[in-house]
Formats: sequence, structure tokens, C-alpha cells
Amino acid sequence: MNERRAAGPRPGQTFEREPARRIFAGELREVNFEFPKGEDEKSPSFVLLPTGARCNRVLLVGTLTEKDRRGDQNVFYRARISDPTGTFFLMAGSYQPEAMQQMARIEPPAFAAVIGKPNLFESQTGSMLVSVRAESVTSVDRETRDLWVLDAARATLQRLDELGTTEDSRQAQDHYHTDPSVYRKMVYDALAQLKI
Amino acid sequence: MQLAEAERTVANELAREHSLPSPGARAQEREIRGLSAGEWVTVQGKVVALTNPPTPAIAQAGILADPSGAIRFTVWTRARAQPLSAGRWYRIESAVVDEFRGVEKLNIHSGTTISGVESEAPLIPAVIPVRDLRPGVGSVRVKVVQEWEPSHERMLQTGLLGDETGTVKFTIWREEGKEKLVPGSVYSIYYALVDEFNGRLQMNLSTAICIPEEGDIRVSEGEAARGVIVHLAPGSGLIKRCPVEGCNRVLSRQNYCPVHEIQKDFRYDLRIKGVLDDGIRTRNILVQKEIVEALSGMKLEEAVALAESSPLGMDEVFYRIRDAVLGRYFQVRGSEIDGRILVKECQKIAFDPGDLAALLNRAGGEAR
Repeated sequence: MNERRAAGPRPGQTFEREPARRIFAGELREVNFEFPKGEDEKSPSFVLLPTGARCNRVLLVGTLTEKDRRGDQNVFYRARISDPTGTFFLMAGSYQPEAMQQMARIEPPAFAAVIGKPNLFESQTGSMLVSVRAESVTSVDRETRDLWVLDAARATLQRLDELGTTEDSRQAQDHYHTDPSVYRKMVYDALAQLKI
Repeated sequence: MQLAEAERTVANELAREHSLPSPGARAQEREIRGLSAGEWVTVQGKVVALTNPPTPAIAQAGILADPSGAIRFTVWTRARAQPLSAGRWYRIESAVVDEFRGVEKLNIHSGTTISGVESEAPLIPAVIPVRDLRPGVGSVRVKVVQEWEPSHERMLQTGLLGDETGTVKFTIWREEGKEKLVPGSVYSIYYALVDEFNGRLQMNLSTAICIPEEGDIRVSEGEAARGVIVHLAPGSGLIKRCPVEGCNRVLSRQNYCPVHEIQKDFRYDLRIKGVLDDGIRTRNILVQKEIVEALSGMKLEEAVALAESSPLGMDEVFYRIRDAVLGRYFQVRGSEIDGRILVKECQKIAFDPGDLAALLNRAGGEAR
């Protein structure tokens, strides 16, 4: 107990919350690299995005199309969410009580703003899959969804512009062999679906 | 007191008793601006303000100004000096500059010689931006931005002054002839006492000359930030505040005030303690009642009624506010204190087709 307290933030040290990266589902589903965890069990874990940023938290806004309540002893919710570029799964279990309670109330189909942590796991076939462990799932309007598409497009293009200029982005190029034109097209197609 | 200064004081005392020229007469003739602690100086200036001495050991205190600037002064009772009159010019020979709580001060002691001088030199204080104020004496041209509830019965008025560069708290104490400033009006304020308290500057206008001015000032609204509200911290929503006058602390669920312990009574309030995130950086924000009401579409009275009728109580209000703001894009403005933006303005960001066109260009520029 004492040890744990000693590992926490010391007085005078300011805790800086990790920002939520704006990332399209089409990029998120490609994520399969996780940085080795720090020594401290509380140190945050980061995944590497194909466009080159280190990421501990994401913000996605899309359409929640399906919702399941699963498990007997350990109940959790699983939802399927689509944005203009693809689909991802969202999980909310008893460790995310706020998100679970929000998930219980939301009825598909609905625009939903998801804040959560990317979570890598190995599928039965041995490939790495990614889901999002929800911190919150809030039902939002279309305008918020449209604003997010602009925001995610801007952030993705920014990361592509910086590809190869930082250590993390060089690692992303090595690991994912990122082709910037593929992601530019993804961004373009997502934007093109919005009405001017 | 330092040994060297003690020696000089004793030497001066002896010289005076025996009508000999003061050894401190070697003090340099100086302008008031740029005086620093530890110097023996001779200055010539006008007494622009006199204040009530805080202890009997001090005969007089006030502000001395020349065309270059102004400094606080103290006349020690032991100096047995002739009383100074406000508005008159004096030549003050061999006074000592020292520092008290980070503020330079001119000490008039027993070795100081004071002589009245005739001067009609016009004295126009140099007005500085609020951002450049430092402890001591300051002159500013400002707008009265806010008026607050006085926290002490001796206080005539307190609030916030601001110009294009920043804002500063002000206080006027109850004294004869003192008048309140008019909120929303612009003033030139000459020779106010500037002090630092808990790391923040504040102006005491008791000594100051406040001259109403024409026109308006666009007051700096502090930091601006855009982003998504990604988190609502506990302590958001409907809260109870301690009713003890001047306290206002948030009570726990058991109506416990960290200072005044269990309270039977309380005042309801609405607020958001949250996190605004632009994808690169997160900022803590604190949003006050009026803005929370506007964002959530729920007035304080409605929130209280909801909490009293809902089985979830105050949590129900938290959920309503959360569902109204979480995951939404906002532009906020306010001053940043201790790493938290105190939000004065908060607007929902609207979709701009111009942004879409620009991003389509940027994405399509290379690919097609």
C-alpha cells in the first residue's frame, strides 16, 4: 500500500492528462503495435498509430448500429460503431461503470461520441485486433459528428505531414510501411461524404 | 538590521546631536525610478499620498513621486522629522532604500535631512499596461470590469480592473472622501499601491487618484481554447456551498465544510469541472452557474427541483449536464489560474463549410 502511494504523483508534480487522439476507424483497425509498458504498473500504455503518433486515448464520433449485453457473472456491453471510413467495436465493463450506464441508456441507431482507450488483443487465428475500452459514450447530434470528421481529417493530415520527422513516426513507417496516399484518400473520401 | 547600516545610523545620530554635517550626506542624488534596496540616496519629489501608519513606530507613510516614477516611503517616529504634507515637494537627503515583502521602500530615518522645496513642475505619472504591474506603486488606465461582494465591512468596494493586456483585482477601503468606481467606466488611476498576495497582484486604490476618462477599453478576456469536453470531474453539476459569510466552499454530501464542519444550511450552485481536449493538449476548465445553465438548458431552480424529485438525487443533474456537454466541441475564453481556465465565455463551435472545402483541398492536393 505504501509502495503504491510512493509511486503516485508527488506533490508539486502536475498530472497531465493524455489527450484523446482523433483517429478514423479505418486507421484504428490497422493498429497492432503496443509500446512496452513502463515499470510502474500505473504507467499508461500506448499504441503506435500507422500515421505515426503514440496514442493512449482516442475520440471517435460515429453511428452506433448494434448493442449487445454479454456475460453472466461479469456483465459487459459491446457496441458496433461506424464512421465514414470503417467500423470498430466498443467495450464497456464493470471497470467502466460510467460508460456502462451510458451504454444501457443509448438506443441504436444513434450518433455517439466515444472517448476511450485502444485495447489490443489476439484473435483465435493469432492476428492482433483492436477494440476501444469506453470511458464514455454520449449520444450526440449530426453537427457534432460532422465537426469530428473535420477534426479527425485535420489531425490525420497533420500526422501524415509529420511522418518521418519524429522518432515515433519513423518507427511507424518501419512497422506499418505506411503509404501516405492510402490515408490521404481515406481522409478525402470521408470528407466527401459530408454535404457542403 | 545590517551592521553597516547600524553603524551609519549611530554615526548620523551622533552627528545630529552635535550639529555636525551628516556622514550620510555622501548619498547620491538620484531619480526615483531605478532605486534599489541597500542604496543611500538623495531624492527630490512630491508627496502624492499619505497613508495611515500601521504602527506607532512609524510617524508617516505614503508615496513620493518625481517625473521618473514613484516609491513608497516610511518616516520612522525615531527620525523626529518635520511632518510632510501631501501635495508638497521635498528634498530628502540620505534616505535608505530597503525592501519589504518584495516592494522597494524609502526609509526616512534620523540621519535623513528633509527640506521643503518650491516646485511647479507638472507631474504626469507614467501609465503602464496592467501586464507590466509589479509590487510597489503603479499607474494604469483601466476599465472597471467587475464589482464583487466586499468580504470585509471596512471595504468600500472590490472587483476587477482590466486593460488590453490583462486584469487585476482592486480594493478601496472605507475612508473619508473615498468614492466607489462606476462599473463599466474607464479611469486613469495614478499612484495606487500594488501588492502581491498568494502569487497574484492586487491594487489598493486608497492612495490613488482616480480620474474618470472618456471612451472604452477592450479588456483582455484571457486565454482562449477550443476542443471537446472529454471528461466531467466529480464535483460537477449541482453542488452545495457553505453558508458561512465569505466561505463559499463546496460541502461534501454529508454537508461537511472543510473549515466550518457540519452545516445545517447551504446554498445550491451549478458548475462544471471538466477537461477540454483539442487532440494535442488537455486543459482543465471551471464553468460557472450562468454558463452551465445556458449549456444545459436547465436553470438552477429546475436543477434543484429535479434533484429533489429524482430517485437519483443530485446525480440526476450531473447526468443531464454530462449528456448535454460531453463529446461536444466548444470554444472557451477565460483567465487561467493554477492550470485551470475559469471560463467567462463558452460557445458551441458551429460547422463551417469553408473548413470542409479547405480540408478537401489539402487531402486531395497530392492524391489526385
